[in-house]
Amino acid sequence: MAEEEDEKEYRWETGYEKTWEAIKEDDHGMLEASVADIIHKAKRKRQSERKGGARLGMMRHLFIILDCSASMMNQDLKPTRLLCSIKLLEDFVDEFFYQNPISQMGIIVTRNKRAEKISDLTGNPKKHIKELQNLQHTALTGEPSLQNSLELALKSLRLLPSHASREILILIGSLTTCDPGDINPLIKTMKVEGVRCSVIGLAAELCVCKRIASATGGEHSVVLDDKHYKEQLNAHIDPPPATTRLDAALVKMGFPHHALHNSTTDAAMTVCMCHAESTDESSRLMSTGYLCPQCLSKHCELPVECRACGLTLVSAPHLARSYHYLFPVKPFREIAYESNTPSSCFGCQKSFSNTEKKVYICDKCMNVFCVDCEIFIHESLHTCPGCANNPDTFLKNADSLPAT
Amino acid sequence: MASEVDKSLLIIILDVNLSQRIVRQETKVLTQCLDSTIVFANAHLMQKSNNQLAVMACHAHGSLFLYPDEKHSEVRQIDGQYERFTLVERSVRQRLQEAISEIRTDRPLNSESLIAGALSMALCYVSRLEREKVAGEKLNSRILVITASNDSASQYMNYMNVFFTAQKMGLILDVCSLDQELTLLQQGCDITGGNYLKVAQLSGLLQYLLWVFLPDPSIRSKLVLPPPVKVDYRAACFCHQELVDIGYVCSVCLSIFCKFSPICTTCHTVFKMPGPMPLKMKKKKKNIDAVH
Amino acid sequence: MSNTISGKNLLRPTGLRCKNLHEYLKSRPPDILNKLYHNPPICLAVFRELSEIARHYVMRLLFVEQPVPQAVIASWCSKLHSEEHQRVVQVLNELNVWNEASIPGGLPGWILNSTFKKNLKIVLLGGGKPWTMSNQLETDSKPRDVAFLDSYALERWECVLHYMVGSQQQEGISADAVRILLHAGLMKLDEEDGSPVITQAGFQFLLLDTASQVWYFILQYLDTIEARGLDLVECLTFLFQLNFSTLGKDYSTEGMSEGLLTFLQHLREFGLVYQRKRKAGRFYPTRLALNIATGQNKPLSSDLEKEGYIVVETNYRVYAYTNSNLQVALLGLFCEMLYRFPNLVVSILTRDSVRQALKSGITAAQIVGYLRQHAHSKMIEAGPPTLPPTIADQIKLWENERNRFLFSEGVLYSQFLSQTDFEVLRDYALNTGVLIWQSERKRTVVVTKAGHDDVKRFWKRYTKGSN
Repeated sequence: MAEEEDEKEYRWETGYEKTWEAIKEDDHGMLEASVADIIHKAKRKRQSERKGGARLGMMRHLFIILDCSASMMNQDLKPTRLLCSIKLLEDFVDEFFYQNPISQMGIIVTRNKRAEKISDLTGNPKKHIKELQNLQHTALTGEPSLQNSLELALKSLRLLPSHASREILILIGSLTTCDPGDINPLIKTMKVEGVRCSVIGLAAELCVCKRIASATGGEHSVVLDDKHYKEQLNAHIDPPPATTRLDAALVKMGFPHHALHNSTTDAAMTVCMCHAESTDESSRLMSTGYLCPQCLSKHCELPVECRACGLTLVSAPHLARSYHYLFPVKPFREIAYESNTPSSCFGCQKSFSNTEKKVYICDKCMNVFCVDCEIFIHESLHTCPGCANNPDTFLKNADSLPAT
Repeated sequence: MASEVDKSLLIIILDVNLSQRIVRQETKVLTQCLDSTIVFANAHLMQKSNNQLAVMACHAHGSLFLYPDEKHSEVRQIDGQYERFTLVERSVRQRLQEAISEIRTDRPLNSESLIAGALSMALCYVSRLEREKVAGEKLNSRILVITASNDSASQYMNYMNVFFTAQKMGLILDVCSLDQELTLLQQGCDITGGNYLKVAQLSGLLQYLLWVFLPDPSIRSKLVLPPPVKVDYRAACFCHQELVDIGYVCSVCLSIFCKFSPICTTCHTVFKMPGPMPLKMKKKKKNIDAVH
Repeated sequence: MSNTISGKNLLRPTGLRCKNLHEYLKSRPPDILNKLYHNPPICLAVFRELSEIARHYVMRLLFVEQPVPQAVIASWCSKLHSEEHQRVVQVLNELNVWNEASIPGGLPGWILNSTFKKNLKIVLLGGGKPWTMSNQLETDSKPRDVAFLDSYALERWECVLHYMVGSQQQEGISADAVRILLHAGLMKLDEEDGSPVITQAGFQFLLLDTASQVWYFILQYLDTIEARGLDLVECLTFLFQLNFSTLGKDYSTEGMSEGLLTFLQHLREFGLVYQRKRKAGRFYPTRLALNIATGQNKPLSSDLEKEGYIVVETNYRVYAYTNSNLQVALLGLFCEMLYRFPNLVVSILTRDSVRQALKSGITAAQIVGYLRQHAHSKMIEAGPPTLPPTIADQIKLWENERNRFLFSEGVLYSQFLSQTDFEVLRDYALNTGVLIWQSERKRTVVVTKAGHDDVKRFWKRYTKGSN
């Protein structure tokens, strides 16, 4: 197999890594400065890996396959593998929809050699979280089945339009899988269909998992502890670069009105479409909501697929939330702090003292920032304050976006 | 907990662009706005000894912090005003004077104010204070924008980035418009849970500020304040800048178009013509056909 | 706020009450209140102590010249919080911040007290006369920085506290200060040798946070102020000027009256201000003087106390990172000391040690409050809750242990001649709800004092009837 040749060697096969040499004592024999430096470097590294302008699959469709076999009872992750996974997945779902607002997600559990879809592809995080919480008291029995669950996921993903990205994320704690047949043809089909499949192992690396991941362009990793687990999950929040065979398409979407305090007294109390069928306490009459521009049915939150006519309903800010992936702030250049650099950080106004060894400069607007602002700008703000405050440069950020 | 102390930080961003319509009509207006803003700022400081304040000015060529100002921190009382208030008043006026005289005149003045830039600096400032706070302290921050200029679409990206970052940080954005309805900033208020107010009479600016924007978000529910405005969340298409109810979105870059076009003008992607589509897309396909 | 242990709550159990600023002002005669409102610093202090809604009412009325109808003001507060509105109205009335006034149409209205309004406006907008201490000064040749002032203030204040617990360092405290301690009932003269010893109230005082201690102490001082021939209004005004001064800045003594200069010397002794020499002409306020009256809007306690030093573990061990004798002595009030190291004291909370403290009048809430106030920053980071809940609960349980007896006054009926007599009387008492205790075997009934007359009448009627 071609993939296996360029695989990197295992850790134990590499030469000595002299990790202790990276740590240096300062004048007082303390290590803190050195450790902080290492952490900082790691942060910088993560940012530089993020490339801008790449085609990202924006309308993501992700299936999460969660192992619910007996092996999930293991207590190496506290309190158990399953409870830990559920807790982390809840955060993951929220963050996933925050960062990918017009994406959809579905959840499949596998146990007793069977696969079961507990929530279908939808864009509503609340539904997923509710289903996940219901899983807490589920019975963990038997063995998982990779093939069955992948086929189940594939059945739904296959129907999606060709412009949508298709992804599967497997969380597996078992070291075995019980499949009805040969899994290799299935892997080939997934490859043909452009399904990207990643695996996070909770126990140990399995050859079959590794092969699935590398064949479909996904990632494979094994968690060390709960923190590492969270990091591994979070790596799947950023959209993966779209594979080239993904077709681009124009998708029809509705931008509903905010039906708030509608003009006069005619704002009759109505039940929204999302809660019309459910009978629990959340279905109450409201006068506010969003009206589908095509069929005028009411929905209580966005984004949502209209229950009546199937139109995807979003608000303009939802789309805007994803723009920063397309136009990220370029990494700043690290320069040594000298006397001729400005006396304070352009962003937070902190005055540089001599303890500041490195400051950061934006090559576009030539303003200087401190370490913390540099991280803040690249990780959450996604706008360079210097460029945004310069009448010559503020447009360049958005020059390819004539905006609304 | 007894050990938790709330601090309330208010950042005021005052638009001092000289080409604002109301300023061009009557130059005095700017002085009046400045006076009201300073009194309002001091009124915030007067509420609690823990309250913190920052004042920024923003114009067509940039923005800057007027207060706190590390250079002018010494002040002696000259009249019965509380020392801290005198300091605010003096450093705001002094710094603003410097700033306005520094504005370069070789550039056209009638461009828009860089409010999004000022907001992004304010967010950096808040995130620094969040980092520097001691354990057991809780910082409630909010930003108030006072402006008479228009919010232009050219800063759309910057605005959106700022709004979502603010929402994530739990920071509230209030907007006080002196001249026209600001649709973009209105969205920002709605996203972050702040108040939006268009002042009807400029002469009563101070009273408007004290009534609507002085209460901390925690107490706003107890006081009767103007109801939230209807926010227009419709998107404008990239091709004609018109608000659309139903539009077409590029699956790669999420640009919005009002009609189907074979190529995306933003990312130059060539779209697949709507050909035979799988089951689920049938409805949509019909609609597309109907457009053509 | 319900679980916040403020200085006021701490002191309640044994009647040592620390008034907050409003309570203090309310207890002054009305004409003093009006005189006080002539001074901008006091107006600002009163304003800051108001509740949040009351502050917004005042702000909204500040620039209104005519009276505003009461109904209009009531509509400012949402209907759900009308109780709060009522409370605000009451406080503003009591403090004379606003007065009733009728509006031409005959509606009842309110208008801000004109003196208060004028002076609050001066604070906010400027105008009027500068405050007494703000004369221009040449720059100090040897300026004092904040760190120096902090350590000075703490040292002076601890001197007073040291004296109270009777630690070795007994110098450095004047007879005046001792008189105030005696007046406040924090210390009393020993019956045998006449030397001052600490009282129950004194122990409770020690366990307060520094800001509350200073405020309580100052209140007691103000009580004695007129006896010293000083003017209360003048001193209070000066005190609040200090309250609103800037830390690390020097102020001038020029133009201060003789009385104020004496007052300043007293403040100097307690560490509220720093002066290099008595006649230096300048002084520096310290952190103790700042935010003196801020009962509810307290600044960070760590601002004042520097660093928390106590770590409490779930095994009842209390580790205190300190070398101050005072702090060790305070811990010793309710802990059993185990080891002492140069910078660390290890002690343990036991039932006996806590009971010992409870016996001397300290309450469980005070002990818990003290541990929480001085908790090490690591404990605060790990929290909330800052303290292990088991410890806090156990201390409270130990206190409840002492409250097992329920005393109720009553009248005893006994020596019934027959079981039926007993039962008739008992059932009557039971039905009327005045029965406290009864024993069938001993034929004894205890009824409440209030019910005694009724039961007696019933008994007379009963015995007559049976005869």
